[in-house]
Amino acid sequence: MVFVLLGVTLIVFYLGRGLLPPESALAPYITPRMNDGTKLQLARSLGVATISCPSWSALASHESVCLVPIWGQYLSWLGNVLAGNWGYSLLPGLSGTQTTWYVFWLRFPYTAELAVAGTILTALVAIPLGIISATRNNRLPDHISRFISLGGYSVPAFWFGLILQLLFVLYIRVGGNALLPSNGVLDTSCALCLSSPGQVTGYTGTPILDALLSLNPAYFWDSLVALALPTLTLAITSIGALTRILRSSMMEVLKQDYILLARSKGLKERVVIYRHALKNAVLPSITITGLLFALLLGGVVIVEVVFSWPGVGAASVVASTVVDVNFLELYVLVTAFIIVLTNLLVDIIYAKLDPRIRY
Amino acid sequence: MTRESSSSAPSKEERKSSHGFRREVRYGIHLLRKNPIVLLGSIVALGSIVLSLSSGLVVDQNSWKTTHIALRLCWNNPIVNWNLRNVYDCAGPTTYTLGTDNYGRDVFRMIILAIPLDLRISLEIVLSAVLIGTVFGGIAAYAGGTLDELILRLTDIFLAIPSLLLAIVLATILGRTLENLTLSVLITWWPTYVRLMRSQVLTEKEKPYVEALRAVGAGRFRILFRHIVPNSIYPILVQGTLDIGSVILTFSALTFIGFSPSPLIPELGNLVNQGIEFVFTAPWLIIFPGLTIFIVSLGFNLLGDGIRDIFDPRLRR
Repeated sequence: MVFVLLGVTLIVFYLGRGLLPPESALAPYITPRMNDGTKLQLARSLGVATISCPSWSALASHESVCLVPIWGQYLSWLGNVLAGNWGYSLLPGLSGTQTTWYVFWLRFPYTAELAVAGTILTALVAIPLGIISATRNNRLPDHISRFISLGGYSVPAFWFGLILQLLFVLYIRVGGNALLPSNGVLDTSCALCLSSPGQVTGYTGTPILDALLSLNPAYFWDSLVALALPTLTLAITSIGALTRILRSSMMEVLKQDYILLARSKGLKERVVIYRHALKNAVLPSITITGLLFALLLGGVVIVEVVFSWPGVGAASVVASTVVDVNFLELYVLVTAFIIVLTNLLVDIIYAKLDPRIRY
Repeated sequence: MTRESSSSAPSKEERKSSHGFRREVRYGIHLLRKNPIVLLGSIVALGSIVLSLSSGLVVDQNSWKTTHIALRLCWNNPIVNWNLRNVYDCAGPTTYTLGTDNYGRDVFRMIILAIPLDLRISLEIVLSAVLIGTVFGGIAAYAGGTLDELILRLTDIFLAIPSLLLAIVLATILGRTLENLTLSVLITWWPTYVRLMRSQVLTEKEKPYVEALRAVGAGRFRILFRHIVPNSIYPILVQGTLDIGSVILTFSALTFIGFSPSPLIPELGNLVNQGIEFVFTAPWLIIFPGLTIFIVSLGFNLLGDGIRDIFDPRLRR
């Protein structure tokens, strides 16, 4: 686990620093008011320039006396990263005023909220679909569920999101008003400019949790509605994979002898399926659901762009246009950390649920 | 198959094997008939390949470079009424089946030009990933020990980063050209194939024929690449067919969020991206290119599903 994370930092470092010239690593730290002397000191303290480097212009023209070997740069970079020292954000409007760390964690709760909602919706839809598909194998319900899962698997998320917006904003109208908001989450700081009365305190940064914690039902409802279309878009692409896994493992389990025994005992079909088969078939789905959450954390980028969601995914696209390597690196490292952690958690849950597995 | 072509007079045994092959084909056709959706998918997939090969005959290859500002964002196909205010009617005798885009280009032609581009890039990515997966996965499983551990850990590292995110980082740093975008997606795609090939070879190498080959003194590389790999490649090929659709999705997602080298390029994701500004005034700009991605990708997924059913021994009668 630690090995994988170290590997990720190596890749991230090499991509961000090894392939770009050394001065670019300094970009987030440099403000217009700095003179060459302070810039050089900064470069030295960040481990980008050697102590014996004579001047800033020598570093800018890549003189060999200034260049630090790549492993030396990596070590000082890793030190800074572990200390949480990520420099200043280059995002438009924030440039040089706020740290990357702060900007990232301000947006991250929105992304997490979307990913969690997407995972829950996926599981809620995929588990019944998978069961129906397996128990009514090769009949109409199976074909329908197969079509839904394959369709969801092949639909471009960005297109699906845009079509949903088109439908709900332009064509499906109730009393002349759009049924659902097409984009934008309710900003906590903007609670007053909404119809919902009362104040919401930013405990966690996620609108839904904040509304719950500050006992504001109107705000809660508003943020739930804002979440609807993005969550649906996010879920539709992952329902397919989960349904397929559940279908095949369910079919495998239904062929087992103990299912035959349960049926021959005269148990009701419902009891056989939900009590005996499902409990065993659901195990691989837990792995997939765990992975799904982690993958959605990275995959929300498209949904966030389509729905102008104020999360890290949409910000990473902006960060990429201004080559804010720090932001992208932080995003990659945090998601990699969460993925590795989720894998570990899934393994532990697995061992708890299945007594046959012992580590 | 190679044995059949090598001798002109087939012996009894060879006739039996060719009979077996014909039975295989007949079984495949039987499965296709039983599952019309798969048949439909295969037709779509093969159709898009044929279209890609012949798109130069249908549409002038360079027509995407010419813009007609007078004809921008207009629609004159009478079949669809968008029920929108301010839809601009294209003047002139030509009917634009799917309307025109922001540069006054025929959207239908742009889609015809875009399908080959996306399909070619997707095939490049999948074939390279299959090749990398076969070589590294095969070597890892057959060699075992430290090399296996090393390759496995390397795939672990790459799998711990969400693929779209890694592609975004790579495309940011390498620069936005089609080649770099292809490379970015490829880098996120190869580890799955290494894993898949490795697990296949691990079971295959324990079989008696491998021991027999070793006993007669066949070289390691010969055993691996001439005998074990051909015997374990089917699941990889099925995965490859399924992935052609997914790669098109990932690649077009990347160009959709703005990684296209030029806004003019006829690439399906880019076409949708160009339409996003006009979602509520010219919805055809996003509907049709996106629908094309959906249909092509669905076609390959269905084809892959069908091929898996044909080769999966567990589903046999």
